Amino acid sequence: MRKKLLDKTLRVYILFSLMVLVVSAPLFYFLADKLFIDDADEALLLRKNEFISNNLHSLMPADIPVWNKFNRDIKIEEIRAGGIRDSIFYRFYLDTLANENEPYRVLQSPVKIGTKSYVFMARINLVESEDMIKGIALLFIAILATLLIGLYFITKRLSKRLWKPFYSTLEQVEQFELDKNTKSDFPSTDIEEFGRLNQSVIKLLERNVMIYKSQKEFIENASHELQTPLAAFQVKLDTLAQQLPFTSELGKTLSDLNDSVSRLNRINRNLLLLSRIENNQYTTLEEIRIDEILKKQIDFFTEQAEENNISIHLKYAEPCIKRANPTLLEIGVSNLLLNAVRHNQNNGQIVISLYQHTLSISNTGAAAVLQEEKLFQRFSQSGITGGSGLGLSIVKKISDLHGWQLAYKFEGEMHIFLLSF
Amino acid sequence: MKLLLIEDGKQLAESIAEYLATEGYHCEIASNLEDALAKVTLHDYDCVLLDITLPDGNGLTVLERLKKDGKMEGVIIISAKDSLDDRIKGLKLGADDYLPKPFHLSELGARVEAVIRRNKFQGSSKITFKELTIDAQAQLVSVNDNTLQLTRKEYNLLLFLVANKGRIISKTSIAEHLSGDMADMLDNHTFVYAHIKNLKKKLSDSGCGDYVKTIYGFGYQWEA
Repeated sequence: MRKKLLDKTLRVYILFSLMVLVVSAPLFYFLADKLFIDDADEALLLRKNEFISNNLHSLMPADIPVWNKFNRDIKIEEIRAGGIRDSIFYRFYLDTLANENEPYRVLQSPVKIGTKSYVFMARINLVESEDMIKGIALLFIAILATLLIGLYFITKRLSKRLWKPFYSTLEQVEQFELDKNTKSDFPSTDIEEFGRLNQSVIKLLERNVMIYKSQKEFIENASHELQTPLAAFQVKLDTLAQQLPFTSELGKTLSDLNDSVSRLNRINRNLLLLSRIENNQYTTLEEIRIDEILKKQIDFFTEQAEENNISIHLKYAEPCIKRANPTLLEIGVSNLLLNAVRHNQNNGQIVISLYQHTLSISNTGAAAVLQEEKLFQRFSQSGITGGSGLGLSIVKKISDLHGWQLAYKFEGEMHIFLLSF
Repeated sequence: MKLLLIEDGKQLAESIAEYLATEGYHCEIASNLEDALAKVTLHDYDCVLLDITLPDGNGLTVLERLKKDGKMEGVIIISAKDSLDDRIKGLKLGADDYLPKPFHLSELGARVEAVIRRNKFQGSSKITFKELTIDAQAQLVSVNDNTLQLTRKEYNLLLFLVANKGRIISKTSIAEHLSGDMADMLDNHTFVYAHIKNLKKKLSDSGCGDYVKTIYGFGYQWEA
């Protein structure tokens, strides 16, 4: 799946920020924790040193219960078992007020009061430190989140502004149609790369338009030029037919020649017609009764169809008025009918129905689905049936010109052409 | 009958002139506009065949000149530029017919004949061939004064055959003649056979001789 350019940059930014957050948050937590513990340990040592220098020499064994009574965090206890060494460790004490165990950092150190050995215990509650670390972590996350959101919006806005000419160019290129004479207008930009892009696109489009135009002109000129020699050829053939002592072999040859010239003629005229449609030479539109045109054309083709025992059924034809070019509409309808006759089979049939928005012409024929994309291409299937190979592409051009849709499907052993107005 | 053929394609012009000469027309050729203008000012013709695209200008100028001079010639435009605009413009300027290139000589012959008939006799002329009479204005066909019931296509076919009498006409040209503007849509020419058969039957039923000869594999001929 393709992503938008902006989303892609933003995604990278967000991913990076998240990674920084994930890596730095525990790191930060441990660091803060360590700093606090170090701080607590230092405070405990200080207390011990203060006790040794300020209190130890004046303290009597009898004072110890009193001392313990008034000092919550510094206690002196008798040694119960084994040797005690200086050490700092964690320990949980029950908080009678909150009735829960709370973590403490505890320092113990052997002291001598009088003649007896005691153990000096100093402790610092770590609950506050945990709260503080939590607070700091939260703050840290908040800052990071703000940074991230800020980054997101700034990038989005900035990129949008930066890439605006790009998107505008993109839109123009997307809307560009070679056969429509649309003038592309690219906005000026102060970004060098986009300027270069626009220049190249303009050059590319202009070149394409030029090639397309010259190709169109070429086809039209070529057809024109072909017409004179074709006319001479046709006339010579007719003259030849008058001059010869006629034999049946010769008659057949001449007849074949005549058919070939006829076909050449048709191809040439259809090419000319195609290029004229493309050159917008049929632009006048009129209100036309499509049903009447259809009936007129069916009359003509009925005779043609009967030659091959094909029956034409006009299943339904409601009065239907559309704005169209009369010449082109007639050509389009007759090309569709001709197609239905030509590609039919012996004893086949053609079914036609016309509704307000669709004309459907279906015919029996070879039981194989045709490729729709190839069907409307020039010369895609000429040669086999003696057609000009241009009929359906002319219909397609005509339907495009009027903004109609031409579709093909194969259903119930029938080839169906659907023209939707 | 004097014709002027204005056409710059030498081969085409010669063939047309040759063909029309065998039809009994005297045909002069002008291969450029200057020549053509000189000829139409100096002489009178029964029919002018006019190509629009000439090396030194637009053939329609000839039409304008004829109109200005008040000459009554029948003009048939023969043009490779089969565009609707030219057709309308030509007919507006007073041309009698428009025949896009390429065409069959038999088609051209029939049109020339029709134009001359219309202009000379204001369309009231009757074409007679032995016992057969065709009233082109009323579009009635009679054999020995008995009127024949022909379909429109049969009538056109008969007129076409008779206009090209003595000549071998290809199936293709008959088919295209009968189909008119729809000629491009023709897929096969076998339907000509059915019309010929019907026409022959109607003619013989009414006592007309059988003048339609089948040229095997190629077409038909109205035997003169």
